[in-house]
Amino acid sequence: MNLLTFLDGASSGPSSGVEAPDLEDLRSVTEDVWMALVGEADPLLPRAVPAGAPFDAAGAWSAATTITGGWRGVVTVELDEQVARHLTAEMLAIGSADDVTDGDLADAVGELVNMVGGNVKSLMPGPSVLSLPAVAAGRAAFTHDVQVACRLDLAWRGAPVRVSVHVPHPSPTDPHTGGSR
Amino acid sequence: MKILIADDSRVMRQIVIRTLRQAGHGGHDIVEAENGREALEMVRTEAPDLVLSDWNMPEMNGIDCLAALRASGSQVAFGFVTSEGSDEMRQRATSAGAAFLIAKPFTPEAFDDALRSVL
Repeated sequence: MNLLTFLDGASSGPSSGVEAPDLEDLRSVTEDVWMALVGEADPLLPRAVPAGAPFDAAGAWSAATTITGGWRGVVTVELDEQVARHLTAEMLAIGSADDVTDGDLADAVGELVNMVGGNVKSLMPGPSVLSLPAVAAGRAAFTHDVQVACRLDLAWRGAPVRVSVHVPHPSPTDPHTGGSR
Repeated sequence: MKILIADDSRVMRQIVIRTLRQAGHGGHDIVEAENGREALEMVRTEAPDLVLSDWNMPEMNGIDCLAALRASGSQVAFGFVTSEGSDEMRQRATSAGAAFLIAKPFTPEAFDDALRSVL
């Protein structure tokens, strides 16, 4: 998934562009959403991943939602395919993850990023607008137009889960950022 | 009582229906809409007693649906079920005539409290 289109014109926008949610806030939001969707029996666990390492699941699903307005950023979730499949089965309350269709997967993963993104939006300055989610089979790809502001690597049933927040690079023409970073 | 659930996510509509049941409100008739425009039409054709609507939907979002309902004279009870639970969104919802806003992630207790306010 190429996220360039999500932030077209972002560098000339009114946002500060460098403000980002606190990592612990992102963790709390993500864990709350996850627990509400799949229950408390299998919590998300921390996972050590080197900085800058791409999402390393063999098969993955990803989804992104964009926040624009008083704050601008992209919230992305990336899930190991089996995690996505089991999450979807839990959300639909169907017994077997094998019965999950690609349409179900796209719907569920999109709803996951919508919930995380909506809560991130509530943490940041507003007023802002949350986009409809975009979902793809595969890991997310990020262009040089954005920078990672916050990244959370987790494991569920031993498989990787990543939640990240990207913001536009500060622009030299933006009086809010001054291009000082 | 008839409840119209408007959400573009089929998965979320299923979760809302399940949560209603867990909250002790499983006996109601349920009808479903995939976006605000469909919900607007179904308020006319289905005459629900309550609309539970997502905020962010394609075609027509929830707040525009509510505004259109009130502009048409409908006073159907309307509540949001949305991932956006900030004070700003709650104020917008209340100003537009919503009875409540349930923020995702939610609990059966949150649904029970909200529904009791309109039953």
